[in-house]
Amino acid sequence: MNTLSKGLMGSGFLLLSRRHLLPSLLALTAFLTVSSGCYLMRPNKGGGQAKASPPRVINATDVALPTGYRIEAMAEGLTFPTGVAFDSQGAVYVVESGYSYGEKWTTPRLLRIGANGQLVEVASGGRNGPWTGAAFFEGAFYIAEGGAMEGGRILRVTPGGQTQAIVDGLPSFGDHHTDGPVVGPDGWIYFGQGTASNSGVVGPDNLKFGWLKRAPSFHDIPGEDVTLVGQNFASVQRGKITGAFVPDGEATSHGQVVKGQVKCSGGILRVRPDGSNLELVAWGFRNPFGLAFSPEGALYATDNGYDERGSRPVWGSPDFLWKVERGLWHGWPDFVGGLPITEEQFKPPTKPNPKFLLAKHPNKPPQPAARLPVHSSANGLDFSRSPDFGHVGQAFVALFGDQTPVVGKSLHPAGFKVVRVDPQTGVIEDFAVNKGRKNGPASKVGGGGLERPVAARFSPDGKALYIVDFGMMPHDKAGAKPKEGTGVIWKVTREGGEK
Amino acid sequence: MKKLIFCLTLASIISSQPGCRHPRRGEPIVGPLPVNDPAVARGRIVYAQHCHQCHPGGEGGLGPGLNDKPLPKFLIKTQVRLGLGTMPGFPEERIDSESLDDLVNYIVALRHHSKPLPGRLEGHK
Repeated sequence: MNTLSKGLMGSGFLLLSRRHLLPSLLALTAFLTVSSGCYLMRPNKGGGQAKASPPRVINATDVALPTGYRIEAMAEGLTFPTGVAFDSQGAVYVVESGYSYGEKWTTPRLLRIGANGQLVEVASGGRNGPWTGAAFFEGAFYIAEGGAMEGGRILRVTPGGQTQAIVDGLPSFGDHHTDGPVVGPDGWIYFGQGTASNSGVVGPDNLKFGWLKRAPSFHDIPGEDVTLVGQNFASVQRGKITGAFVPDGEATSHGQVVKGQVKCSGGILRVRPDGSNLELVAWGFRNPFGLAFSPEGALYATDNGYDERGSRPVWGSPDFLWKVERGLWHGWPDFVGGLPITEEQFKPPTKPNPKFLLAKHPNKPPQPAARLPVHSSANGLDFSRSPDFGHVGQAFVALFGDQTPVVGKSLHPAGFKVVRVDPQTGVIEDFAVNKGRKNGPASKVGGGGLERPVAARFSPDGKALYIVDFGMMPHDKAGAKPKEGTGVIWKVTREGGEK
Repeated sequence: MKKLIFCLTLASIISSQPGCRHPRRGEPIVGPLPVNDPAVARGRIVYAQHCHQCHPGGEGGLGPGLNDKPLPKFLIKTQVRLGLGTMPGFPEERIDSESLDDLVNYIVALRHHSKPLPGRLEGHK
């Protein structure tokens, strides 16, 4: 008896007689092939495949929320907003990135949002975006400066606009940048640092992204000493090969040790507000974009999973919500949410299984708190703390939305919404989505609702959830085509609570 | 009787092609899914661990949507166990039999929870 027969028997298929089994099997095979199979033959229908062009229509009634909640747009016309923060009086500030995938450079800015939605500039930066978020603590803002041109920094900005770097030299020239920050209950500034590459090897995808040309010697850096298997891949330079954790065109060998650094790729770090005592909290993430502390004081991070691209593509990797385990390696570049990357489910349909890059793993990686949709780009998050808003202890996570076809293929749009996650069970439920028969960004499904939520943060009193909407960013085979002036800040409140 | 079962099976297979049903099941669109049945509550957790990432909320994503395909329970179990195409199979070590029963109960409950709240499906393409 073959595997199929066993499976079918186990499923009760033998309710049918033997005479009818064969035709039923044929019908089943035909059905499954038509309805689920032939993935390779089906076109990419991700959410970025839209003909988005400004001006953007804004209409809060096109956003669906659970019964009892309302949403309004409180600021419009922003260029690539990525974060929101609140000062000690509760005034609302927004960070504009100054950079977007698609190699679009603008001026990174910290803006105060006035009562009528008018924007007042507090501080601006140079050509070293993206600014990826801000937090306010004891009279100053702390901003993560992505550092695509000069390296990542954590900036301290006074309300008067005076700016000082308290951390610099972070490895941010690649695919992912310096992320965060968030202030811990211990008074330290926590922030994330993304990796240079998709899965540990610099390659043609990085050339396509644009950064490899301006930073040809850049590569991933481990958070502690690692020993390599010595697997190498084709370089973008003819006749050369490239290993893990080294620049493009540099081969590695079995047993080669790569030194770890505190300022590593794929790490979560912390520093005192005065810039002293920089420490590595945990590593082995890919791009820990969003950080937040739960009401119990536990640190959680979102993490963008592997893409199906580059020299070492990985198929079907979800994004993650991690409960950060201090001192531990969380699995990148050899595990996918606690599962070995060598498992068949991560094999790209037309390419071989990825193999381990590390000869010895620093520790057994932990399991994530939740697995978010593949390619959804789980980004900024916050925990509800107020019974007035509800769902206390649950994480509200902004899903930026897929960036297919550059990152892989998706049969339907993934993300483009805000979800709430129960960190105890991993159960994920939609919270803010666009209305209509299909999910996707407003530029694809119609209406004036959400485009690309990139952060979600509660007001200091916990009664309002602010959603930062990056704006229109359609994609084609060449990459992202971000649209300036299309970003929005949405505010969600519970009816009966704050208006 | 056997012919009747056979015909019903085929009819369910044919009717399970994507049709006029909408796939959306999120709380903002159709309201919260009742999870009074403990099996459905347990199945929701199994779904979150293994299925949501490719079929978020039973809708399409990396993989196809499930909510608009009324497969019989035994076929759902078969596909989960064996996989198909790019979908991996989930052996007993990953999803045990009891969890598979719970998972299927959740998928079916989610599928049936389809009545949209007023105005939530209208106005767009």
